[in-house]
Amino acid sequence: MTNDRDKLRELLLDVFLLSPDEFRFDLTREEIDTWDSLGVVSLAVGIHETFGYHMSPQEATSLRGIADVMTLLSSKGFDVGQSG
Amino acid sequence: MARAVEVWPLDRVRELDRRSTIVWASPSVAAMIHDTFPFTPWILGQPLPENARTLIAAGGGTLIDEAKRFVHDDAPQLRLIAIPSIWGSGAEAAPVVVLNRGAGKEIRMDDAYLPHARAVWPELAATIPRERALEACGDAWAHALEGFLSPLASPGVRDDAAEIMRGMLEAGVGNDARWFELSSRAAAMQARSSVGLIHGIAHTLEPAMNAAVWGHARLCATYMRPVFVYDRRAEKVPALLREHDLSADAITGAAESLFDAGHYRQSLPALESAWPSVLRDRCTRTNAVLVRQTDLQFFLDFA
Repeated sequence: MTNDRDKLRELLLDVFLLSPDEFRFDLTREEIDTWDSLGVVSLAVGIHETFGYHMSPQEATSLRGIADVMTLLSSKGFDVGQSG
Repeated sequence: MARAVEVWPLDRVRELDRRSTIVWASPSVAAMIHDTFPFTPWILGQPLPENARTLIAAGGGTLIDEAKRFVHDDAPQLRLIAIPSIWGSGAEAAPVVVLNRGAGKEIRMDDAYLPHARAVWPELAATIPRERALEACGDAWAHALEGFLSPLASPGVRDDAAEIMRGMLEAGVGNDARWFELSSRAAAMQARSSVGLIHGIAHTLEPAMNAAVWGHARLCATYMRPVFVYDRRAEKVPALLREHDLSADAITGAAESLFDAGHYRQSLPALESAWPSVLRDRCTRTNAVLVRQTDLQFFLDFA
């Protein structure tokens, strides 16, 4: 059974078109070239599809890296663990 | 809010001042246009008559977009009146300009490119070959459907899009002059929202396919059905349609009537090799549902 952390990892690979080799849970927005305005839209769509959570525009644009995505999802009760 | 393009009746176009109005018409409708409008014929590249103040551009999306660019960049003293000879692109109503430049396309977007007015000439519908008319319906449908489903669509945009799609379902697909207006409204609407995977595929595959045969409209008509089947697997898509009194089955029916299985199979090798670029396309990234790297298999299996 896939856990929330694995689901998040798979989602982020697809949202930001990353290869498994380059993925890390501590990547920042600046390190991901596809984390632009369209990336924010894709991320919001993907989070909703995968976790059923609707990010507000303010939440979506305030994220500074994958660690912030994990913090947000953890605060909503999802078991995505820590970025470190 | 985008500036609205005025909608003129054809009689108002006929009454324009003869001395200061010039007409640029595509070859397919030039004879009809020049027989009807007593204005000076002109084509891009010719010197502009000194007293010209109004340019009528009558043709397809490519011609109208070139006219929009010309007026914006080189002749801002001209008032542009657009008369589409085929529906689909909605160039006469959209602030987007798509310019064919060498192997690629240059895309610009600004309200300043909008024509001053547009006019519908219903009789031109009968001049469009049946196959091209169907493909053009696919282009217009893709604007309406993807504009409606876009994650960037506001409630007001969705209401407009839903009304346009109801009109499309009522018109059916084919040589029906109602498509001129439906297409214009769909293009103006999607400019306030975004498009999705149908356009992501079309934009990516166009340079890779034989442009003489595989234009943008054919790709939209070909991919409307598989992309809609793909999108509607997500519950939110039929739910959104239901909220707006639209039937997913009716839209699937329209997509099926535009779908050509032979065309689809012919395009698949190009889709397979271009898939990474499709995923990166800005339209794909505002699709109704997240398009995943492994989803290519869905489209290969769809054949």
